[in-house]
Amino acid sequence: MKKYATIYRAVLMETLQYAANVLMGFISFFIIIFVFICLWNYMYDEPASLIAGYTKEQMIWYVIITETLWFGARPAVMARQAASDIRSGNIAYQVNKPYYYPLYILSRFTGEWSIQLPMYAAFAALAGGILVGSLPGFHPVTFLAALPCVVLGITINGVFKLNISLISFWIEDSTPFQWLYDKLILVVGTLFPIEIFPKALQPFFKLTPIYTVCYGPAKLLVDFSTEKCLEILLAQLVYLAAGCALMAFVYGKGVRKLHVNGG
Amino acid sequence: MKAIEVEGLSKTFRVKQKERGMGGSIRAIFHPRTEEIRAVDSVSFHVEEGEILAFIGPNGAGKSTTIKMLTGILCPDSGSARVLGIDPSKKRKQLAYEIGTVFGQKEQLWTHLTPNDNFRFFGAIYDMSDAETDRRIGELADIFDLGAFINTPVRSLSLGQRIRCEFAASLIHSPKVLFLDEPTIGLDPVVKENVRSLIKTMNRQLHTTVFLTSHDIGDIEKLCRRIIIVNNGRIVMDDSMEHVKYHYLNQKTVEVRLHGEMSLPPMQGITILKEKEGHIRFEVDTAVMKISDALRSLNLENMEDINISNIPLENIITAIYQTEGKEAAS
Repeated sequence: MKKYATIYRAVLMETLQYAANVLMGFISFFIIIFVFICLWNYMYDEPASLIAGYTKEQMIWYVIITETLWFGARPAVMARQAASDIRSGNIAYQVNKPYYYPLYILSRFTGEWSIQLPMYAAFAALAGGILVGSLPGFHPVTFLAALPCVVLGITINGVFKLNISLISFWIEDSTPFQWLYDKLILVVGTLFPIEIFPKALQPFFKLTPIYTVCYGPAKLLVDFSTEKCLEILLAQLVYLAAGCALMAFVYGKGVRKLHVNGG
Repeated sequence: MKAIEVEGLSKTFRVKQKERGMGGSIRAIFHPRTEEIRAVDSVSFHVEEGEILAFIGPNGAGKSTTIKMLTGILCPDSGSARVLGIDPSKKRKQLAYEIGTVFGQKEQLWTHLTPNDNFRFFGAIYDMSDAETDRRIGELADIFDLGAFINTPVRSLSLGQRIRCEFAASLIHSPKVLFLDEPTIGLDPVVKENVRSLIKTMNRQLHTTVFLTSHDIGDIEKLCRRIIIVNNGRIVMDDSMEHVKYHYLNQKTVEVRLHGEMSLPPMQGITILKEKEGHIRFEVDTAVMKISDALRSLNLENMEDINISNIPLENIITAIYQTEGKEAAS
């Protein structure tokens, strides 16, 4: 694993050079959370009322947390680089190195979000603290307990995005599939918690990556319970194992049919 | 001992075909049509350890496809290849530790890191210990004279410095075989000379086997003792450079400047290329006529200057591509 830690460190060094670029992303991030703060302030006619089991503060903090994950751990390297490597044939120059290409991409992704996510989290904590106030019932211990779920959620998202990119071995462009996946995660689970949707749909959503990628980690941070934490952790482990098995299968099949003509 | 052994290696690509216009695009959705292109067709050869081999051919001849099969990037359809006794298609990862690759148009260095950080990165990728990597960086910095810029980010280096670092990165794990796919493409003459000198140095000092493809005849002439020419996916020539020159350099170009007007009588074995105001340029086929006999037909008392030269190797290679290529295709 030393080589993947080295790839991670190299990306970390590279991303640090672009840390200033992250600050530009804060503008659109702030606009989105500001819009949702206004929306939920309007929706909650009384501060003590509940919507889908969430208080106003919990609801706004839920959106702040999921948006932080969305902006801070955007798997662009999984979506764009892997697909472009395959389409352009550049993957040919990666597969003859003594590392496993999917893990190489995954290490790069981890290196990127390791820098970006803490920056977004710090900004989100500051903006949320000023605009909404502190999160009721939040405790540093529950934060630490939810942290593995956050990391696993980001990793599962990366693995699924990579799986979609690997379809490029067979089709010209995997972007439409990436778009569908992103919109599903964004609308169901990121902007709104699952409980907002009709009860009949909720069990279905729990079977999708939404539950493990964004809803689960954010739910734990706004309303922690040990039982919920274990349930989400278990679901994440199952999803990660299935995602990785699929990745190994798709990559193994795809790389054998790699066609790179020309010099 | 043989570093590379190839027997009957073949690779076919299936390329999508589409008729012209919008109608063709729509038909291609419902009735996709593909055409098979035999990029490499039953190629067999071997390369000895420590040899520098030129593997050349016109565009689309199958050079890069062969390199990609030898480095494990592509799987052959049939035939076998062994590099240092390893089958590249079955043990790509194991082979990766033993070979190095430089693809002229592809950068492998991380541009925001320094060469030093890059070498450490590649050292870790090849499972080298930190001490081993440090020792190797020191050696390569000496060989390629990298000391002055080893701690400067790659993006700030000149092209020549970057190419030296690319070579050093490819050699960090002391590969026994180095595959160079057009390593001097797009470089200016000074940098090209530096690269050739680097290849010679590492071959001499490190005893690295070099498998080189290039369109630059200078690379081949100055580096290689043996040449394999491929065309239409087949080997059309596998010979020593000396032999190629001996057999194909029987054409000499003679350029004579004379006082006053003079013309050369038509003779078998002589082809006049230019004849103008006392300046005559002609080709002599030395298999038909001796140079001295050709010169006797001129009035040498009026001669001001004479220059006898070999036909450029580039012209010879082009002629081989054309004649042997046609035979291979038929």
